[in-house]
Amino acid sequence: MTEFDAVYYDGRTSARKPVRVRGYTLVIQIVGEGLRLDVPLGKVRVDPPVGGTRRALHLPDGAQLQTDDHAAVETLFPRAHALEGWVHGLERRWPYALAALAVTAVVAWWSVVDGLPLAAKIVSGFVPVAWEAKLGEQTLEFFEGRLCRPSALGAARRQALQQRFARLTAGLADGYSYRLLPRDCRGVGANAFALPGGTVVMTDALVKLAQSDDQISAVLAHEIGHVRHRHGLRMALQAAGLAALAAALFGDATSITSLATTLPVALLQSGYTRELETEADDYAFRRLRKIGLSPKAFAEIMLLLEKDHKKRSGGDSRNYFSTHPATAKRIERALAAP
Amino acid sequence: MALPSTDRGAPASVAGSEKRHAVEFTAHAGEYFRIWIVNLALTVVTLGIYSAWAKVRKRRYFYGHTRIDGESFEYRGNPLAILKGRLIAVALFAVFYAIGHYAPLYIWAVYLVLLFFGPWLVVRSLAFNAYNTAYRNVRFAFSGTYATCLGLVLGYGLLTLVTLGLGFPFLRRRLVQFAAVSHSYGRTRFALDEGFKKPFVRPYFVVIGVSVLLGVMLAAFFAVMIVVAGAPKPGAGVPAWMSTAMIAGVVAFYALLFLQIGYIKARTVNAVWNHLSVGPMRFESVLRARDLIWLYFSNFVAVVLTVGLATPWAAVRSMRYRVSKTTAITSDPLDGFAQAEAQRVNVAGEEMADFFDIDIAL
Repeated sequence: MTEFDAVYYDGRTSARKPVRVRGYTLVIQIVGEGLRLDVPLGKVRVDPPVGGTRRALHLPDGAQLQTDDHAAVETLFPRAHALEGWVHGLERRWPYALAALAVTAVVAWWSVVDGLPLAAKIVSGFVPVAWEAKLGEQTLEFFEGRLCRPSALGAARRQALQQRFARLTAGLADGYSYRLLPRDCRGVGANAFALPGGTVVMTDALVKLAQSDDQISAVLAHEIGHVRHRHGLRMALQAAGLAALAAALFGDATSITSLATTLPVALLQSGYTRELETEADDYAFRRLRKIGLSPKAFAEIMLLLEKDHKKRSGGDSRNYFSTHPATAKRIERALAAP
Repeated sequence: MALPSTDRGAPASVAGSEKRHAVEFTAHAGEYFRIWIVNLALTVVTLGIYSAWAKVRKRRYFYGHTRIDGESFEYRGNPLAILKGRLIAVALFAVFYAIGHYAPLYIWAVYLVLLFFGPWLVVRSLAFNAYNTAYRNVRFAFSGTYATCLGLVLGYGLLTLVTLGLGFPFLRRRLVQFAAVSHSYGRTRFALDEGFKKPFVRPYFVVIGVSVLLGVMLAAFFAVMIVVAGAPKPGAGVPAWMSTAMIAGVVAFYALLFLQIGYIKARTVNAVWNHLSVGPMRFESVLRARDLIWLYFSNFVAVVLTVGLATPWAAVRSMRYRVSKTTAITSDPLDGFAQAEAQRVNVAGEEMADFFDIDIAL
């Protein structure tokens, strides 16, 4: 027989009544001033234990017993909560807590480095190409007319570049409808960007900067790599995954403290961008070789772009959150490409 | 670990016929750290599914260690209901995120939906939490309606827009009042007397005034520097004094953020709790702005330096401070006051249980 002190609440009022509880094999007996109650054990519902908080025993008709005698409750209801009883056991001991810390750190680390990019790649495989094209159109609609105007290049020049683009995309048969849009984007400088679905936007400034048309082909091949490997979609998925992970890890922090997670998340994201850029570079090197051009052209245009960028930012090349891998490294890889 | 026994009431001092009950928070940072990290590990290992159970365990730990007159609060949220709510929330978030990312032209639709959906979330969440909170085996309840909440948000939101933000304190004040008076403990409604209004909005206007003053000073500083050091020439990059001033400005902005949040929080919480009552019980809250500012700042530094590991410590410490500055004052014994009135609520409460079996964390 187990015996313990408890407080009895009848569930109709907030009045507390100190009682003595005796637990037998099939029944508990509650005895207090003006109260004598027998309740079958099977009708009693116990809350799972959490830390050192008081245990509540829910009785039929909304009445309740509260007690600090944890040992007695365990004796009376030994198998009340399989899952949470086990969790409670882990929470009570430091070695388990430290093991949990190690597990959390390893899983979080793996998720950031391999898990999220892998998951994004798998999930993006289920998104139909037609959806991606729709998404690309939306993005294009957003900056067409705002940032960019129709190209100021001559018709013959545009025709020549379109032919180069057609050569790069010929026979890819990956479901994307590739098209090249030469645009005059004043604020953007020499650049090109790929939209999901196959649209590649190329600025007039890039055409003017390039010393040969092979160099333009090199940049376009890189952008086609972004399209083929679904980088726009994968980036968005990875960013969402990262946000979810950060929320799980630091969601308990007060809102002002969670400000502090903005910077690390931004840094990790620029890391993802660098990875995808490298993937697009590798694709460009292979594609250029395939149509009989040298990846050297890529190295050349990278050098020109870097100079141009430095000039534009007033000789100040401090760029803390550079999203592209260091240019020197990319040039090196282009020159070493098979 | 030594636990206060059931009979240990707070040392009560008698002032007239009133009795003062210290509110206690008996949690330990070390114990909570173990609970936090074990539940976090299980959450990441189960890809977030366990997070509903984790939330309930953490809540139960905090509620269970919060005591008035020696009796603790109880959290009764059902993890399965919470999991359901979270899955819905995640799906909605994914849709909103995708629209914001890929169809920015339709982002207005998201804002429109959020405008009408937000008040619903607030009401349901308050109702769920109230219904699942109990003290002395008597549940709390929330009776605010979606229509009222939406009306407040639209009306005062419009006021805030028209007044270029100056109406915001009044929007907050009205929402806080709505949240407070729609709660009840058992059958006993919470009441918030009109006296809270002035002290509630004053800190906002102090902050707005100080911000305007600082903005004017900043503009004057730049004007003087441009006259003295000359305007930056186009293409020559940013002059050194300007980049230094920018960095100083950003640091000052974040420092001011802590000051503002701490100050507004301390003053508004005091304003509400000092004018709140439930039956024969009223409260006294004496939070100090400088304490809260220090608390927020030191928590921020500790959490950052420990890569988040200080989060449970920060949470326990914040709660302990809040609770240590709060006193419950009663004119009748706590036993008696819910007695007559609490009788009917359980019936109504049970009937409504099905409506509340959803929780979307905000």
